[in-house]
Amino acid sequence: MFKKVLIANRGEIALRIHRACKEMGIQTVAIHSTADSNAMHVRMADESVCIGPPPAATSYLLMPAIIAACEITGAEAIHPGYGFLSENAKFVQICEDHGLTFIGPSSEHIRLMGDKITAKETMRTLGVPCVPGSDGAVPTLEEARRIAGEIGYPVIVKATAGGGGRGMKLARSEADIDGAFQTARAEAKAAFGNDEVYLEKYLGAPRHIEVQIFGDGKGKAVHLGERDCSLQRRHQKVMEEAPSPAIDARTRVRIGRICADAVAKIGYAGAGTIEFLYEKGEFYFIEMNTRLQVEHPVTEAIYDVDLVQEQIRVAAGLPMSFSQADLEPSGHAIECRINAERLPQFQPSPGRVDTYYAPGGLGVRMDSAIYGGYVIPPYYDSLIGKLIVHARTRPLALARLRRALSELVVDGVDTTTPLFDALLDEPDIQKGDYNIHWLEKWLAEER
Amino acid sequence: MSKRPQESDIEFIKALAELLRANDLTEIEVNRDYGDDDGLTVRVARQGTVVAVPTHAPAPVAAAPAPAASPAPVPGPAMPVDPADDPGVVPSPMVGTVYLQPEPDAPPFVRVGDQVSEGQTILIVEAMKTMNQIAAPRAGRVKRILVADGQPVEFGAPLLILE
Repeated sequence: MFKKVLIANRGEIALRIHRACKEMGIQTVAIHSTADSNAMHVRMADESVCIGPPPAATSYLLMPAIIAACEITGAEAIHPGYGFLSENAKFVQICEDHGLTFIGPSSEHIRLMGDKITAKETMRTLGVPCVPGSDGAVPTLEEARRIAGEIGYPVIVKATAGGGGRGMKLARSEADIDGAFQTARAEAKAAFGNDEVYLEKYLGAPRHIEVQIFGDGKGKAVHLGERDCSLQRRHQKVMEEAPSPAIDARTRVRIGRICADAVAKIGYAGAGTIEFLYEKGEFYFIEMNTRLQVEHPVTEAIYDVDLVQEQIRVAAGLPMSFSQADLEPSGHAIECRINAERLPQFQPSPGRVDTYYAPGGLGVRMDSAIYGGYVIPPYYDSLIGKLIVHARTRPLALARLRRALSELVVDGVDTTTPLFDALLDEPDIQKGDYNIHWLEKWLAEER
Repeated sequence: MSKRPQESDIEFIKALAELLRANDLTEIEVNRDYGDDDGLTVRVARQGTVVAVPTHAPAPVAAAPAPAASPAPVPGPAMPVDPADDPGVVPSPMVGTVYLQPEPDAPPFVRVGDQVSEGQTILIVEAMKTMNQIAAPRAGRVKRILVADGQPVEFGAPLLILE
């Protein structure tokens, strides 16, 4: 097992990783920018290294600084968390070259899943259901018209190098395809320096269902059921739950097995998530995230596992601590992402937290790195905490969530907490009857 | 050479330790500037037992023959104790390991008292097996060197003082 792990991240996830390390008897090294000198992960870690000025590009994304921090502290492994360098194949390669263990999959698997077209081709070959569409890039407008006709409208034009909703254009009918194709290409060129686009069938009102998988890197893999992350705003997840209100046990086992088998076949190592759109009983692969997800705690709650400790185990060459037979979900878990944002416009609200009180009690978990007197810097994303509740049933989990939200105090900055109070009053949320468009529509009506 | 005999330093530290005990404190840190290139940094801390960690700034060597070894090193892996809010401080532009000379047996890039010109290499910070030559941000005289050869530094750590 590693003696010392460097945590190449900040905020709540850095603290989350620190906690996993300490329970395993591992020393931790925090890295931080000058803006994060007083951050909780820096205060808690056994050692800390300031690696650069506030902008992420010159600190948390600066590979030589992170490798140098390992060298001067003697850390043997790097946990990247999510975001930043967590899905950067080049960084993984550099770690490997410097004799450092990257706690995550191989650079080869990250590269394979990082490109949307090769990811989809690979998944299709591995038996994972995919959205019908062009098999690969569509170079010309004529080709786009022909393929759109074959798969049937509506279709969506997406940038190969895209993400976060940029470089995506919808064509509802034949009349829209020329404009959608040309705009998507231009946007892709501007945003990613690469104008390659592809076509997919557009689903009207799907849910976002993702399957948590875990591989040992030696050909064994398991699934830990699904998470429903349909409640999104601008392609950002807002609230997640597991299990999905729309998936029954048989469907869970079916799609779970398909995913576990697929990653087992490629010898995938560590935690990963296969994301699907789900409509009318069918799953359509969107992408695979080759890292820990923000919303991993809902899975941890219902399966009673520690995914970060498991990542560290597998990276250290140990076998997984569970097999598929050990993994039976229990109860229901919901996560709310608490962002430092001002409603109703969701403007970032950095600044000083005067008072912070975290909710507690049975089945309540608050993952956050803020504290009273902490100053939220303006340089990074606005997630300041995740409130996760777990209870025997979905109605009990909703009641517990309402109770926990009423206890949470964050004074001094605006947060998205009131959004969740309001959502819990909605009959659709209470029934679990929502899709990926529900939240945007509801927000537009509320306004 | 030293303007202060060793004994007085010991007396001083003893006095600090006594102060610590008398006032039930856990830590005292003192930075003293004796002259151009001479100073003393003392941190006295206790956790049940009293530990004294004296740190001498490099002894004045301007007139002395070049010492083969690097100046008295700052202790261990700990980052330099808050030296200079001196306006002349040159901070490290990156995290890494400091080297004061271009190669192990070569003379150092600069010595205390040297006049350096803007852009002149003052030391090396190694990161990821790359030797990054750190240039003087401005012309001036080297008042103090705050790091030892082979010492790890963070981003922003004070390297030396130019005046």
